Amino acid sequence: MADRNLRFGWWSLLVFLSLGAVLEALHGFKIGWYIDVGNDTRRLMFTLAHAHGTLLALVNIVAGLSVRIVERFTLRSSVSFALIWAAILLPAGFFLGGIVIYDGDPGLGVWLVPVGAALLFYSIARIAFDLSRRK
Amino acid sequence: MTQVATPQSLPPDMDGLELAYNGREYKAERRGDKFFLRTRTEGGSYGELQQVVIVTGSHNLQILWLETGQGRTLQQFPFGYIVAEKMWAPVNDTFLLPSNMKEYYSTGAWNGACMDCHVTQGQSRFISGFKWDSQVAEFGIACEACHSEGREHIERNRNPLRRFKIHLTTRSDSTVTNPANLKGPESGLTCGQCHSVWAFNDMTDKIDFNRHGAAFRPGAGDLSQRFVIQPNAPDHPEQKDFIRRTEPDFFHNRFWGDGMIRVTGREFNGVQASPCFRGGEFSCISCHEMHLDSPGQTDAKTWARTDQLRPKMDSDFACLQCHKDISSRLVAHTHHPAESSGSRCYNCHMPRTTYGLLHAMRSHQVSSPNVQESIAYGRPNACNLCHLDQTLAWAAQNLHAWYNQPVPELSEDDRMIAAAVQWILKGDAGQRALIAWGMGWESAQKVAGRDWLYPYLIYTLTDSYAAVRFDAWESLRTLPGFSDFSFIYTAPDQTLGEAATRAYEKWLREVRNVNAVYRQETAIDSDGRIHRDVFQRLRSARDEKPIFLAE
Repeated sequence: MADRNLRFGWWSLLVFLSLGAVLEALHGFKIGWYIDVGNDTRRLMFTLAHAHGTLLALVNIVAGLSVRIVERFTLRSSVSFALIWAAILLPAGFFLGGIVIYDGDPGLGVWLVPVGAALLFYSIARIAFDLSRRK
Repeated sequence: MTQVATPQSLPPDMDGLELAYNGREYKAERRGDKFFLRTRTEGGSYGELQQVVIVTGSHNLQILWLETGQGRTLQQFPFGYIVAEKMWAPVNDTFLLPSNMKEYYSTGAWNGACMDCHVTQGQSRFISGFKWDSQVAEFGIACEACHSEGREHIERNRNPLRRFKIHLTTRSDSTVTNPANLKGPESGLTCGQCHSVWAFNDMTDKIDFNRHGAAFRPGAGDLSQRFVIQPNAPDHPEQKDFIRRTEPDFFHNRFWGDGMIRVTGREFNGVQASPCFRGGEFSCISCHEMHLDSPGQTDAKTWARTDQLRPKMDSDFACLQCHKDISSRLVAHTHHPAESSGSRCYNCHMPRTTYGLLHAMRSHQVSSPNVQESIAYGRPNACNLCHLDQTLAWAAQNLHAWYNQPVPELSEDDRMIAAAVQWILKGDAGQRALIAWGMGWESAQKVAGRDWLYPYLIYTLTDSYAAVRFDAWESLRTLPGFSDFSFIYTAPDQTLGEAATRAYEKWLREVRNVNAVYRQETAIDSDGRIHRDVFQRLRSARDEKPIFLAE
């Protein structure tokens, strides 16, 4: 179970670091679709996608490593699942929300964000409880 | 717009600034992020500190306003900052007005006049004498100025489900006005609430406006307490008669004789009188945009500097978006080579016949050039604004040959002397300013030549109107050999004369092409002098009626 989060975390980190390079390129080449004044919502959404994707990749890696380092601690199947899907849905929601924007609002994809946030909340809370209760 | 005075909004190098004007000396000093001014009469001692509290204008001209100690009444700092030139000049010399009108704008002027349009929902609230209790919704021209009241819009749109329901359907938001969704007249009036010459319907409405601010809300079909003045239209005859009786120069200072607007900042008068407007779709936002959200829009600084135009609207595309058929027969329509300035829609149909902020600006009344407008009303026509070295007769003959326009009755001078020469020597100050500016226009210089412009521009450095002198100086600096010519256009008459002499000698000795051949219509002889008899005749016939272009 923990290996799955570890593998996912490293691959996810690769994806979101690459996305960071793409965002840098959009800045570097002054692509209007990304940097024009009227597109600041898109810029915010993509930045949030990049930041959350990278951070949650690291959280998955830490979760995987915690199982190896901390004695008598295991990752429940539901927690492993929730952590991975949180790391998919949160950045995906921000990213899709930035593709089509409506004035100051992101696109429909942003509705994936609260679903991902709920999964993240569940998984982190569960890990915190499980770590506290281990004997 | 108006901004609170801060180190960021005020002109640079304010700290320690010392200026003198009209027998008084001014000294600025900075304390923290606040700026203060002291004033003294010549030879006297400096008085109390007055804080600079707000600044009007940002792109072209900045005017500072000082506290007076009388509530919210403000006093004008008598110098304005010309942004492009990075220079201070007496405010009077930044408007086209006679030199004997000293300190035209003074205590309470911001409260009583400027704030009508330089803020959002201003309420001037006159009390008595020079005392005001003015209030504003916002100093800048903010959202509600164009989109109407925002309270309900904000409250109802806190709900994301409502917002997405609107995003995902074609419904427009009923809680806010979007000028882009309005018909042309209503959309244009949103801008026209300020960018027009307007008057109050009656004293009751004036008092109401003073106490409560404008009752007009974007989307409405009229200005409520006010109306847009079109001098020759049949509406509001009593109000216009009242204006004629109480302020005889009101129309002369704002309009050409046929009712076309001649001052800048009042473009809606021109838009409303344009044939395009009758179609019901044409409005300000056909060419301009107030948000930078069009694909291909440039950065904010460029957009602000280029008249806040939509992408490509600085080209023929502005007209061709409606007049699509013209592009396929451009040369047949213009009778000019396709790539020449004579084939650009703007140059013929929106020539620079309005004036303000020390420069000529394009008329926003879309029209076709004709010589009759120049003869009857004195308005430079588009042909002669580019072909500066040609006569009115030449323009009339071409317009007759190309467009079958009748040739008007012309004087001997109209047949022999270039129209621009006549306007700059005998025109009123408004005409002289337009031509002085026009002589620096690159397109006109390419067509009409540059060699013969020097004597006229140098002579105009001594014009009795500061604004005309400023434009002559600006245009002179576009000519070879004069790019770094220093000149203080606000100097006393004697200094102006000395500068003109210096410029003329520089031209004669260092710059003038001795082999240059001047066309007869330019009235310049082979020695580079203006024909004495022509000069004297035209100069003595100058229209000296005082003019104040009330922009």
